Amino acid sequence: MSIPILSILVFLPLAGCLLLLPAWNCRRLARPIALVVALTELTLALWLYASWKGLAVNPFPQGFLLLEDAPWIPAFGIRYTLALDGISLLMIMLTAIVFCVGLAVSWDSIKERTSLFLSMMLVMEAGIMGVFLALDLALFYLFWEMMLIPMFFLIGIWGHGRRLYSTLKFFLFTMSGSLLMLLAIIALHLLYAQQTGVSSFQLQELLKVQLPLETQLWLYAAFFLAFAIKFPLFPLHTWLPDAHTDAPTAGSVILAGLLLKTGSYALIRFGYPLFPQAAQMMTPLFYSLALIGIFYASLVAFAQQDMKRLIAYSSIGHMGYVAIGIAAWQPVALSGAIIQMANHGVTTAALFCMVGMLDERAHTREIAAFGGLWGKLPLWSFFFLLFAVTAMGVPGLNNFVGEFLILAGTIKSSPLVAVLAFCGIVFPLIYMVRLVQEVVFQKERQPLSLNDLNPREIGILAILALLDIWMGIHPAPLLEMLHVPVQLLTGGTP
Amino acid sequence: MIVPLEHILVLAGLLFFLGMAGLLTWRANMIMMLVCIEVMLNAVMLVAVGGSARWGNADGQLFAIFIMALTSSEVSLALAMVVYLHRRKRTVDTDLFSELKG
Amino acid sequence: MKLYLALILLLPLAGGLINALIGRMLPRKVGETIACGVIWGAFSCALLAYTNFTAPVTAEYGSWLSTFDFKAPIALYLDQFSLILTLMITFVCGLIHLYSVGYMGEEASHARYFALLNLFVFAMLVLVLAANLPLLYLGWEGVGFCSYALIGFWYTEEKNATAGRKAFIVTRIGDTAFGIAIIWMFLLFGTQSIAELNFLAPLAPPGVITVLGILLLIGAAGKSAQLPLSVWLPDAMAGPTPVSAQIHAATMVTAGVYLLARMFPLIGSSPTTLAAIAVTGGATAFYAATCACAQRDLKRILAYSTISQIGYMILGVGAGALTAAGFHLLTHAFFKALLFLGAGCVITALHHQQDIFRMGGLRGKLPAVYWPFLAGVLCLAGFPLSGGFFSKDAILGAVFERGGSLYTSLFLLGLLTALLTAFYTFRMLFIVFHGEADNANHQENGERTLPLVMTITLVPLAILGLGGGVLNLPAYLGEGLLARFFGSIPGFGAMHSSHMEELILQGIAAAVSLLGLGLAWQRYMGVQRSGVLAREQAGSKLFIFLQNGWYLDELYRLLFIRPFVRLARFLWKGVDETAIDGALEGLARLMGRLALLPSAWSTGKVATSLFGLAGGVAAILAYCAWALS
Repeated sequence: MSIPILSILVFLPLAGCLLLLPAWNCRRLARPIALVVALTELTLALWLYASWKGLAVNPFPQGFLLLEDAPWIPAFGIRYTLALDGISLLMIMLTAIVFCVGLAVSWDSIKERTSLFLSMMLVMEAGIMGVFLALDLALFYLFWEMMLIPMFFLIGIWGHGRRLYSTLKFFLFTMSGSLLMLLAIIALHLLYAQQTGVSSFQLQELLKVQLPLETQLWLYAAFFLAFAIKFPLFPLHTWLPDAHTDAPTAGSVILAGLLLKTGSYALIRFGYPLFPQAAQMMTPLFYSLALIGIFYASLVAFAQQDMKRLIAYSSIGHMGYVAIGIAAWQPVALSGAIIQMANHGVTTAALFCMVGMLDERAHTREIAAFGGLWGKLPLWSFFFLLFAVTAMGVPGLNNFVGEFLILAGTIKSSPLVAVLAFCGIVFPLIYMVRLVQEVVFQKERQPLSLNDLNPREIGILAILALLDIWMGIHPAPLLEMLHVPVQLLTGGTP
Repeated sequence: MIVPLEHILVLAGLLFFLGMAGLLTWRANMIMMLVCIEVMLNAVMLVAVGGSARWGNADGQLFAIFIMALTSSEVSLALAMVVYLHRRKRTVDTDLFSELKG
Repeated sequence: MKLYLALILLLPLAGGLINALIGRMLPRKVGETIACGVIWGAFSCALLAYTNFTAPVTAEYGSWLSTFDFKAPIALYLDQFSLILTLMITFVCGLIHLYSVGYMGEEASHARYFALLNLFVFAMLVLVLAANLPLLYLGWEGVGFCSYALIGFWYTEEKNATAGRKAFIVTRIGDTAFGIAIIWMFLLFGTQSIAELNFLAPLAPPGVITVLGILLLIGAAGKSAQLPLSVWLPDAMAGPTPVSAQIHAATMVTAGVYLLARMFPLIGSSPTTLAAIAVTGGATAFYAATCACAQRDLKRILAYSTISQIGYMILGVGAGALTAAGFHLLTHAFFKALLFLGAGCVITALHHQQDIFRMGGLRGKLPAVYWPFLAGVLCLAGFPLSGGFFSKDAILGAVFERGGSLYTSLFLLGLLTALLTAFYTFRMLFIVFHGEADNANHQENGERTLPLVMTITLVPLAILGLGGGVLNLPAYLGEGLLARFFGSIPGFGAMHSSHMEELILQGIAAAVSLLGLGLAWQRYMGVQRSGVLAREQAGSKLFIFLQNGWYLDELYRLLFIRPFVRLARFLWKGVDETAIDGALEGLARLMGRLALLPSAWSTGKVATSLFGLAGGVAAILAYCAWALS
């Protein structure tokens, strides 16, 4: 293909930032520009989705559908390599959708420094797209940091509550992880240069390095730490509730919908293939952290009084299932984990949007302030119930698909973990039912005068709801898309 | 070569430490500190000129002339600042200025 | 056939969606018509499927979950058992829908009500018709959600919302066991299709089968409200009465029985599992019957009676008498729907009064309710020749036939339960409909006139309940229709016993039922009536113990709920905020302190910097000198 569509995906948002410059002080103009850029990204992603079967007819090596490769810093052997396979395609679509949602949901709520906000969003979109596409580890690291910094400002400038505390916490956590990862990347690069005499940061090249087990363990530990913080796994999760609670709605949406997924994605793309034996050895640890996370986060979620915090903790629990699916490293479980990443992205994004909408109206997120909203905000309540039921894992909606596949696959590699994790699905039900009951049902506890959703908000939620249901009853096309990459990753032949 | 390089170095060292000692002790007067700095610079220049004579290379002398030019401009600036500081606090004692504290 | 099957499911789904999405904008009549129309449409399709039925069919419509070796397509399986259940469900639910039009006539959010009611039927039909376990699980969880939303339908009362929540959570605990069984079967057999699983079952080691059976039993106990997960059902009375009827009679609670019967070829090979099932059923039947004797809320009596009757069915499955269990399931669906709808009429007529001690003497005032209700009471009490008599006796007979000390004692327990059943059923009838009216209550309000649609729906149910025995007459009266129809399904093989024995057993059952009637008559219809009622209202210790369901709720609150809440708070405040965050913040503070040490050097004075400079130079020189020497 002659059009470098992957580069366009990555750089279009950055170009969008430049487009924003002339309209910097004009909010009415800046918002549509940003939205158009995001929608163009979505169109590109959907176009890729529509044409992936055609691309799969003669794929690049390793089953990649698209590959763009050029030398970048030859002195270090750093190349500019972007590649797309089924997994990245799913993540790209998710990214494009979540950013459209993020921009639409903060349409009216960001009143100060709007253009700065929008450019931050676009830079972040470029960074996340890059993370999901990069195959060169140096390039990957660049994008990895690139998505971090806008989020730092997003929380720090437009957040509420203890926003500086939260954003610093978030930054320090993720930074310490990623610095270790940088060290590990450099070490890998040096070892490769030592063994082959050529310097390279490319994943496909680095895969050929012969590593003694001990080195592998250390390097894997560094990668794992970086990704585990993003996941987040217990006990590295405490940045998440704070960051979520104090972030602006769009920030929470992107944090939960995408940033958490970069950790799991990178583990699948880099961690496991680069260090197979080490990953194998660390599996029990991974399992136990994930299991503890599921039970722990669900219990803590039950005790929360702030709606956003509750959903933030629920995210930790749900990502625990993704972690289990990856740890099992088994085709069904891995497909389940990847699809669950997308599912959780949609559902949690929707839940955060909804809490944000409520917050804009009532200026509080305390569960105890609400009650009986069904009578006052029927549309809001309808959508909230839908997404809450999804989070509970009721079949027919998307969360069930991922979790069930994860568990069905995991039982093949470790029955005990699967059984324990299955017991964990009771908990989301308990805390979500509590949340729904106290907010949507019962009697009104404080007289609040609230307006129901406006058409913009209905549009956002309706799209997310349709996605939710579609992925719940007909995930087959997505699963088919994941088939080849998952098979390659787990050691089969396509 | 009449004077051996070692002698020049010893003299330069002495001058340098004289200047430095003066700088560290005579803090009550900014002008004297400037003078001490000049002494230290002169020590450096002496080394450069001495080296130039020892190896028969003009670079050292060039360097010395360059330092002289720089020093003159530096001193003029410094004196202007001294005047300004004196105007602010009616003193030239450096210990009374602590605005640099972060 | 494929089309009929699809329509059976799609019609209620479409009805539910229409009412959910645009129901608010439609006129009330249109919404109601759609809701009832789709159910009766589904019933017609089921009838058409019945007339065209020749052999079990599997119809596949598309893929749902399929990746690598995991395959769970959207596929339906229709055999004799699911066909009969589909007919029953659509018919009974159709009547309940019609009744709801009258019962919910003054309810503002009718769209939500009918949407959920339709979806409930849809989920139940998916459960019954699913060809593979994940799809069955979809229906299984679907009924859980719909019951949650319907029990808490009047959500402004905290009590109602909590009851819905309880139902959802308790059944989910059972569902988890069921889910584990599903993925375990995938591990063992590599398939999800029910037919294939039943076929492959003999390959698995017996120990595994036992565990699988127990897991399925826990799942069934959750949905069918068996011990120890029975606590949600009595509270589920918080919902509107037609919803209770639907949950109790036609859908939801029978799901557990259906599941066990469906998977019987798999689990039936393990005697341990069967014994566990039988004991669960028998114990629950007895437990619930004792509780029902002491209730004073009309709907709670019926709720406990449901638990008890489902216990009989589970007992039947445990005895391997699937036909008998299925038979009882059918007759129970008719007479329990009848009783609930009748109770709904009474409650409506008395302006939402549910306390039986506030009722009395309604026979004269509500004759159109009394006679059908009496039919339901006769069935429930197992009065000779009613439908309930034959079906319950078939189960007890099967248990007796099975022999052995365990099953014999279960048989005796079943007989005792039958006595209690007859007693509490007639107690309810006598207190509510006979005797003197509670004047204080009646004079204030007077009776509300009932819509015709409410009383008229009772009639077909009464006929079916009373005459339900014809469906499967005992062998001495000719061959049972159901037994012949079900005969070809694996696991449903007929039991054979001599006619004489059967007659004797039925004689005993009849005697027990009449004895119960006599006891109730003597206690509540004689001269002692007013004294007995006064004493029961005051409540003795035993009475209150039974009324509270043996304090099972309190036990769970003490054992599970309180520790759960405490643990949650501790983990949040104690671990998350104090231990983890505290440690990290401590680290941050330590770093801050360390940073203060060098910051003492920056006094801002030129002198300090100069000394630092000189010291540094000196240090470097000293190091050079030391290194060179």
